[in-house]
This record gives sequence, structure tokens and C-alpha cells, in this order.
Amino acid sequence: MAKPRIAVFKFSSCAGCQLELLNIEDHLLDVLGAVDIAYFVMAKRENHEGPYDIGFVEGAVTSPKELLELKKIREECKVLVAMGACACTGGLPSIKNFAGTQRQAEERVYTELWDIKSIPAYGIDYYVKVDAYLRGCPIDIGEMVELIKSALLGVNPHFRPHSVCNECKLKENVCLLVNKGKPCMGSVTAAGCGALCPSLNRPCEGCRGPANDANAASLAQTFLTELGLTRDDVRRKFLKYAGNTPEFRKGAEAV
Amino acid sequence: MEAFVLPKAELGGFVAKLKADYEVFGPVAKDTEFVFGPIAAAEDLRLDYDTTILPPKKYFHRPVETLFKFDGAVEIAGEGEKVGKQVLFGVHPCDVNALLSLDKVFLGTYPDPYYKARRENTVIIGLNCVAPCENGFCSSFNTGPAMDAGFDLALTDIGDRYVVEVGSAAGKELAAGLAAASADDLIARNKALRACQQKITRRIDAENLGELLHQNVEHPKWEELKEECLACGTCTTVCPTCFCFGVKDYVDLTLKSGERPRTWDSCMFYEFSRVALDHIFRPDRAARIKQRIFHKLAYFSQQFEGSPGCVGCGRCVSTCIKSIDPVEIVAAIQANPNPPKEVKLFTPVIKKITPEKSPWEPQKAVIKAIKPQTKDTTTYTFAFVDAKVQEAYTYDPGVFNMISIFGIGEAPISISSCADVKDSFDHTIRAVGNVTNALAKLQVGDIVGIRGPYGVGWPVEEMKGKNVLLVAGGIGLAPLRPVIKYIQARRDQYGDFEILYGARTPNDMLFTDEFEEWRKIPNTRLYLTVDYVPPGVEWGHNIGVVTTLFDKMASRPENTIMITCGPEIMMKFVVRGLLARGFSPEQIYVSLERRMSCGIKKCGNCQIGPVFVCQDGPVFKYADIKDLPEEIF
Ligand SMILES: Cc1cc2nc3c(=O)[nH]c(=O)nc-3n(C[C@H](O)[C@H](O)[C@H](O)COP(=O)(O)OP(=O)(O)OC[C@H]3O[C@@H](n4cnc5c(N)ncnc54)[C@H](O)[C@@H]3O)c2cc1C
Ligand code: SF4
Ligand code: SF4
Ligand code: SF4
Ligand code: SF4
Ligand code: FES
Repeated sequence: MAKPRIAVFKFSSCAGCQLELLNIEDHLLDVLGAVDIAYFVMAKRENHEGPYDIGFVEGAVTSPKELLELKKIREECKVLVAMGACACTGGLPSIKNFAGTQRQAEERVYTELWDIKSIPAYGIDYYVKVDAYLRGCPIDIGEMVELIKSALLGVNPHFRPHSVCNECKLKENVCLLVNKGKPCMGSVTAAGCGALCPSLNRPCEGCRGPANDANAASLAQTFLTELGLTRDDVRRKFLKYAGNTPEFRKGAEAV
Repeated sequence: MEAFVLPKAELGGFVAKLKADYEVFGPVAKDTEFVFGPIAAAEDLRLDYDTTILPPKKYFHRPVETLFKFDGAVEIAGEGEKVGKQVLFGVHPCDVNALLSLDKVFLGTYPDPYYKARRENTVIIGLNCVAPCENGFCSSFNTGPAMDAGFDLALTDIGDRYVVEVGSAAGKELAAGLAAASADDLIARNKALRACQQKITRRIDAENLGELLHQNVEHPKWEELKEECLACGTCTTVCPTCFCFGVKDYVDLTLKSGERPRTWDSCMFYEFSRVALDHIFRPDRAARIKQRIFHKLAYFSQQFEGSPGCVGCGRCVSTCIKSIDPVEIVAAIQANPNPPKEVKLFTPVIKKITPEKSPWEPQKAVIKAIKPQTKDTTTYTFAFVDAKVQEAYTYDPGVFNMISIFGIGEAPISISSCADVKDSFDHTIRAVGNVTNALAKLQVGDIVGIRGPYGVGWPVEEMKGKNVLLVAGGIGLAPLRPVIKYIQARRDQYGDFEILYGARTPNDMLFTDEFEEWRKIPNTRLYLTVDYVPPGVEWGHNIGVVTTLFDKMASRPENTIMITCGPEIMMKFVVRGLLARGFSPEQIYVSLERRMSCGIKKCGNCQIGPVFVCQDGPVFKYADIKDLPEEIF
């Protein structure tokens, strides 16, 4: 692939993943010298129309208008990457899916409802085919670089989809759950962040979504019976970032 | 036993002396737990530790380790971290014994140069246990509370001093200057260790763990564990005898140079047994728990000359969020076992090969010819760039090479040419993933890396004087083509020869231009079949799966050897069909193509029960593998 044209798009999200991207933009252009950032509204004044070689989509789709845009983006991008928890699984915006009806959710946030046209928040693969996922809230820049290198080489990137515990133990962290009784979700969450939170003494919140073969129901039981969390707390933990996934849904429903 | 005493008050001086010549590592506190870490002074040492988060294995089998660096396809440089002289101070008996088990893995078949260098540069000062740790059950395997091998020095705490036993010449040198232990000191040592032994109540008490487990491959306990286990893999990460790893290429931003590291991996992970096209051999969590427990408690000792695969260190228990515990698992099965049945434990023969160079470094090979076979499968003719290497290269029909595209990775591929050809060799490869697709983009004259040959091939010697029935499916014909050529060249040494070959459609058949030649081999019959014929394609042969050819063939069980390769599901039905026709499991040979990462019995990816497909296979006598706990077919 010669100088791939890259585009970055945003839907419902906090823009943190784009910000994370900006943190390495210089480095990326410098060293790769190989990508052409054609469209990135947050980063540049001059933006170009598609088609693009790789499109990075940040954010969940939460309105009919966004859905139309997403479909157009899909057509314009050879490779489409879901960037960040919101685009991968619905992320934080998807909390509203579990807060009663759509209308009830809207009423809790807005007073003027006549102009609100929202739909439940899903990851973008609910609507279009996605070629690769950059998980996390925010994304991991190492994985981002790995993904671009893989695209340039024309290979599937091998992200390791097993548990965060693996990365945590390799750092010889004292386990927050076993040794400190904190409700860490590392055991059912996909690795790739380098066990960032547990290494800083913060329990894993599951932002990267389910690890392969995650057994959320079993972890939910431990939270409930051994750590003494309430049913609501346990539910909230599994619905926070990836409640749309069948794996984490099982955790929420197990209690 | 030669023994000395080291008064506790003199520990500081002893460690300071060590530090003059060695880097010293030992147990240090980390928050509420302990880890092995660098020791600046004796005060850092926490010899009262119970266990560490990771075992000292990490100093020998590194969590991540570069096997070599490459620059394009041209420059390959063996890497491996520089190893200085080091002392591991205060290693408990279980961990010392675990290293002895790991030695069998890394110093046995194809010694690993990196592990070996570290082992040779490391002095082990062991520390016998005078108080049992919380979850340990070492005494079940005689791997604690005292050690009797594997150390240079071994300390035992007897109050105000340590009794220091000497285990090696290097140890003896380090003990120079210490006072000899008195009879009373030795009595105190024995008393302390006996007292500890008596306090260890956690035990696996099974006469023959291998048999017990094999008889209980199906047991309600496994289903129970499947519901509990989080598949987090922590139990294997912290285990001092686990050796599994994965190999993957990393390129830097030039996309040309980079390195090939290996990283600890685990059979508890869903994707551990994943091969191309997303087939996963062990998708079920219960199957993966069984793999771990069986490997620890049974297979390991079958694979590595009786070495324990579990030393009872208790780490997997302490670290598991669900407290899943081998002691409890065995007890639960013992309390309620399946009715006894006779089990035959197949133990493969152990080989040792010492290559001149690092077994990790591929040789450069050039593509001499490329011949398309089907729309996604191609036959490549290779020759080693180094003429001497090519000249010395010999192989048996049915073995494989590891082919590298630097920056992308390595894949195991059977050799598809006749072993009699000397100046080159062929591989017939289907483009299905990263390595194979990258290969498909190469041209004549391009360079790849190749290591091998590896494995056990078809029993061409045993087949002599017998009739041969060859059954192939799809790309499975590639590893069988060397046999056809081999028999062709030695036609008088074999009896009747029948070839049954099936593919999905006529367009998926390999080596179609050679069929005429094969038919002309005296006393040979070739039968072809396809699953279906797309419109517009001409086909004058059978339609149906390959087993539908059985009615047409002349082969009978008497004096016949059957060899087969193809998708596992095909081989399963082939084997069943032949057994029904009176063939015995002794007459049937199959080639298994499981996941592989190393090819040299180190990475663990290819294990089926106690068998390593890469070295004990890929060709197996069906009789040997049919009773393996992981139902193959
Ligand atoms: C003994 C043996 C002989 C084989 N002979 C042939 C042959 O003659 N012709 C042929 O076309 N294919 C053969 N295969 C299959 C071939 O090895 C796989 O299709 C190949 O590994 C695919 O590599 P990839 O990188 O292109 O696949 P990808 O799909 O990119 O691989 C994905 C991941 O899975 C791993 N992976 C995939 N398949 C395997 C595997 N079988 N073993 C280890 N890791 C794997 C890769 O390393 C990578 O990490 C053989 C396999 C074995 C074990
Ligand atoms: S702290 Fe969390 S991620 Fe780390 S090992 Fe414990 S449960 Fe796993
Ligand atoms: S540590 Fe426990 S929960 Fe995790 S994989 Fe091992 S047995 Fe399962
Ligand atoms: S299986 Fe568990 S107890 Fe046995 S050696 Fe491994 S970590 Fe220790
Ligand atoms: S196969 Fe054995 S050595 Fe490998 S991870 Fe599993 S238990 Fe450990
Ligand atoms: S052990 Fe590594 S491939 Fe067999």
C-alpha cells in the first residue's frame, strides 16, 4: 500500500480517542512518513474528500443522522476501524440503553424534547462491517501503531484477546481482587492496555470489553458473594462499557 | 553431605561477598506480597517469604524474549539477552525442582541456547522450608519442604544460623571460609525439616495420577469447573513449570527490520489452539482446564522422563480468583470416580538433537520456481542459498519445515517433493492467512527463511513388502506426494498401490498434471472424487466424499498399510470406514496438523494429550493416538 489515505471520523463520544491519536501525530508522520492524513477535523484545517484507505471511527451511533453518515463512511473506506470503546461496543453512551425506554433516557437529560432524535447506542458493527477494532477508553497508542503497520504490510494485526490479568501478572502486580478485595474486572476483560489501571492500583473497569471466552457470570458471582457488592453495583459494572455484548450482558444478568 | 554453618549475623557479609562477582536476585517484599528482584544488600532479602508472585522461572524462560533480529530477508542475527553471572538467593525447594523440570523441556530435544546460557551462568542458593506456605502441597511430589538436588548451596534456618549444604563445586567455592556444621547443627536441621513436613496437610494422594485422570476424562467435576473458571490464564502464568509460549514477528517502522520474540502463552486461553481460518481445537473451557490439570499432573511426566509437571508450589491456588485448586480437584474425583477401566498411556520416544547453530535461526532459501495448482494453492521450489546447507539437506517423506517471511511470521508446511531430489525441495501451500498470503506475493528469486526438517514422516520402511492404500483430501495430498514419488522410484519394494483422492470440486485438485504419470506406475490405481461439480465443469469421475471410493477400491486389510492426510473430519470418517472394513488400528497412519509455533517441542502449542505433534508426529500410527484423552477421532 503506497501512502495510505487515512481519515478520522467522530460520532457520539467524548473525543478522547482522537485526542489520544493527536498525542502521537508528529511521531506517526515522522517515523512512518507513509500515511497521508486526508481527513481529521480535530487535527487539521484542510480536509479532503474520500475515498480513503483506512477510516477510523470514534464514537457510538446514537441518532438516525449518524447512521446515514456511517453508511457513507463505510462506502468510502477500504478498511474501517472501530476506534475506542464507544465505536467498538457502544461504550459509555450505551448506558442509556439500560436506563429504561429511550424516551425515559432522553427525559433525564433534556428538557426540550421536541428536537431530540436519538436511537439506542451501539457499536458501529451493529450497522456496518468493521475490519478491525481498537478497543479501550481511550485506545492504546501502541495498538494503533501496530494496526497501521499491519495495514501497510497487508496482514491481519494480532491483538491478544485474552484477559488483562495476564498482563497484570506479568508485571507482578499484587492482585487487587484476591489480595485487596476490590472488584477488578481484569479477568474477563480483553488485554492490550498493559494492565494500565491495576498497575496504578485502580481496579479494571472493563473498558476494553470482553476477553475471549469471558466468563462474566462467574465473576459477577464473586463480586456479589465474596466482595459484597450489591446487585445494582454488579449490574452497573458489566453494563458500563460493553453491556451490549452478549458476554458482559451475562455478567449483568447473572445477579 | 558436606555442610557448613552461616550465622545469621554474617549474612550481610556473605551477600556482600557474592555481590563482588555476581548480580544477586532474591525474594523482596512488594506491597503485601513478595517477588524475586535485585538484591542490593542482605537487608533487602526477605527470607521469611512464603511464595513469590512469579516464580524464578522468569530469570531463565523470559516472559518476552528476542529469538533473533532481522533486517529484510538478508541479515539475521542471533540475539538473546547478554547473560552475566548471577545468583538466585533463597529459592524454595518447589521452585528448584520446577527448574529441574523445565530443564527437560529447554535442554532436551533441541537445546534452547538462551535458556541454557542463563542456566549455566546462574548459581542457585536454595532455602529449605521450615514453615509450610499457605497453599503448597510439595510433599505430594517429593519436591519439598527440603531439596535434594538442583542447588549449588541450600540453606536451612535453625534459629540463629543457617545450615549450608553444598550441592556443587561452585557452591563449595562460595562456602569457603564458613565453619563446618556440627552434628548438633545437622540434628537441628533435620528436626526443623521434619516438623515442617508434618505440618504440610495439603496433599494429592493418588497411587497413579495418570490412570486416575485418564479414567475420569469425563467427570462431572470438569463441567463444574467450566462454570467457575474465568479463563483468565493466571494459574499458568504464575506456574513455575509452565513453558508454553507464542512466537510473533515485530517490525519497526521501516517495515523491514525487526525482531522475532517469544512471549509466554497459556493453554487456558481460547485462542491458544487457533489455527488458520479460525479453527480452534480446544474451544471449550472444560477441555482447556483438563489440558492444564492433565498436563500438570500426568502428561508432563510422560513427555519429559518422569519429571513432575506440578511441584505443589500452590501459586495457582493462591492467585486464582475462584480458588480453583488441583488438590481439591483430585480429591473430588477420587471421592467419586468413574468405574475403573483399562487405560493405555501412550508415551512417545524422547529424542535429542543438537544443531550446530541456534535452532531458532532459519536458513536463507531462495524461490527457484513457482507453479500454481489451484486458485489459492501454489507449489514453490526452494533451494538453500548456502550450497553446503542444501547439499547436506535430507528429509523423510511426510516431514515439514517452518517457513519464515521476516516481519510477518512463521508457518509449518509439509515438504511436498520427492526426497530423492537433491538440489531443491518443494512446498505446496494454500494462501489462508498472514504468512501464506505474504508468500503468495513473492516471486522467483525472493528469499525466505526455512528451518527443518522436523517431525516423523510416513512409515515408508515399514510399508516395504506390503500393499499401500493412500487416502488424501484436499491439500492433504501435498504431504503424501513424496510417498507416491518414493514408491514410484522403488516400485519393486512395495505391493499393490492404491491412491484415493478427494477434493471439494475438480478445480480444487492438486497435481492434476501428474495424475497420468501416477496411473502409469505399475500396479497402481488412482481413484478421484469431488464433493460437487460446479456448472460448466467437466468431470468424468466419482462424485461424493472420499469414503464413497471405498466400494470401488481393491485394497483389503491383509498385508496393507493405509496412510491418510486431509481435514480432521475427513480422516475421522476414513478411519471409521476402514475399521469397519476390517483394518486394524495398527495398520492405519494419519498425519495431524495442529497448531505449531516452534516445531521443536518447546512452545506447547501442538500438544494433544502427552503427544507433541511437531516432534512425535505429525504422522502417527492410529493405534498410538486413538485412546488419547483429547478425543481426536
Ligand atoms: C505439520 C503441518 C503441516 C502443514 N502442511 C501444510 C502444507 O503442506 N500446505 C499448506 O498450505 N498448509 C500446511 N499446513 C497448515 C499451515 O501451517 C497453516 O495454514 C499456516 O500456519 C497458516 O499460516 P498463516 O500465517 O498464513 O495463517 P494465519 O491465519 O495468518 O495465522 C493466524 C495465526 O494462527 C497461527 N496459525 C495458523 N495456522 C497455524 C498452524 N497450523 N500452526 C501454527 N500456527 C498457526 C499463525 O501463526 C498466526 O498466529 C501445515 C500445518 C502443519 C501443522
Ligand atoms: S488486579 Fe485485576 S487484572 Fe490484575 S490480576 Fe487481579 S483481577 Fe486480574
Ligand atoms: S486462574 Fe483460576 S479462573 Fe483463571 S484460568 Fe486459572 S483456574 Fe481459571
Ligand atoms: S500447578 Fe499450581 S501448584 Fe503445581 S507447580 Fe503449577 S502453580 Fe504450583
Ligand atoms: S500446556 Fe502445560 S505448560 Fe502449557 S500452559 Fe498449559 S499447563 Fe502450562
Ligand atoms: S511444541 Fe512448539 S510446535 Fe510443537
